[in-house]
Amino acid sequence: MRFLVMVKASPESEAGVGPSREELEMMSKFNEELLNDGRIVFAEGLTPSSEGVRVLFEGDAEPKVIDGPFAESKELVAGIWVLNGDSLEDVVALMKRAPNPEAKGGVIEIRPIAE
Amino acid sequence: MRFMVIVKANEESEAGHGPSAELLAEMGKFNEELVKAGVLLAGEGLTPSSEGARVVFSGSEDPKVVDGPFAETKELVGGFWILQCRDRDECVEWIKRMPNPDGQAGVVEIRRVAEASDFENMTPEVEELEGRLRAQSAGEK
Repeated sequence: MRFLVMVKASPESEAGVGPSREELEMMSKFNEELLNDGRIVFAEGLTPSSEGVRVLFEGDAEPKVIDGPFAESKELVAGIWVLNGDSLEDVVALMKRAPNPEAKGGVIEIRPIAE
Repeated sequence: MRFMVIVKANEESEAGHGPSAELLAEMGKFNEELVKAGVLLAGEGLTPSSEGARVVFSGSEDPKVVDGPFAETKELVGGFWILQCRDRDECVEWIKRMPNPDGQAGVVEIRRVAEASDFENMTPEVEELEGRLRAQSAGEK
């Protein structure tokens, strides 16, 4: 099975404050483990929602375009992995080990990809 | 530039109602166009959030696991594309044309994917790993 793993945004990620060297290295080490373990299909980080837009569809009307940033920062996505896993539990166990530098906290959402 | 295009969930997708035959056919055509234009890097749909989980980190405590479904339907992700476009405007133009045969209201969010040059603290070691990740993704296609 494949899973989309989403790291939710934080005030720092939305402010465009990139990861510190230490955070980058911790994440890189974790990614290397996942990669060597054959888990990673791909992994990407997103720029802040201020660089993004939303396209709103409603009935037959021409879609509306709204520029970011978007307010609900806790629901925004800051980065993703697409991972191979045996089950939801398997991927949950893996992500519990994700680096949490400086114990900043945060939410990771794990969702199965439809096959 | 690469963009992650996030299609938000709605009541139907969260209820596990798959797309109608018409939508599926039109989406197939649209994806084919994206491939032909060399724009499509990846595209996937997700199952309802009832099949998902969240891992919540708080301070130095053990992370907590919260099972789906999650309530805030309109903020949930229903599916996504990763598209390669000249700029954001080109990406928006593609997405404005995405099929919506039932005239459903919906929201699609377009976000630029970060490249190595976006990270001011990038190190040669991390960049090398990024390169291997890229090669891995390319191999998956």
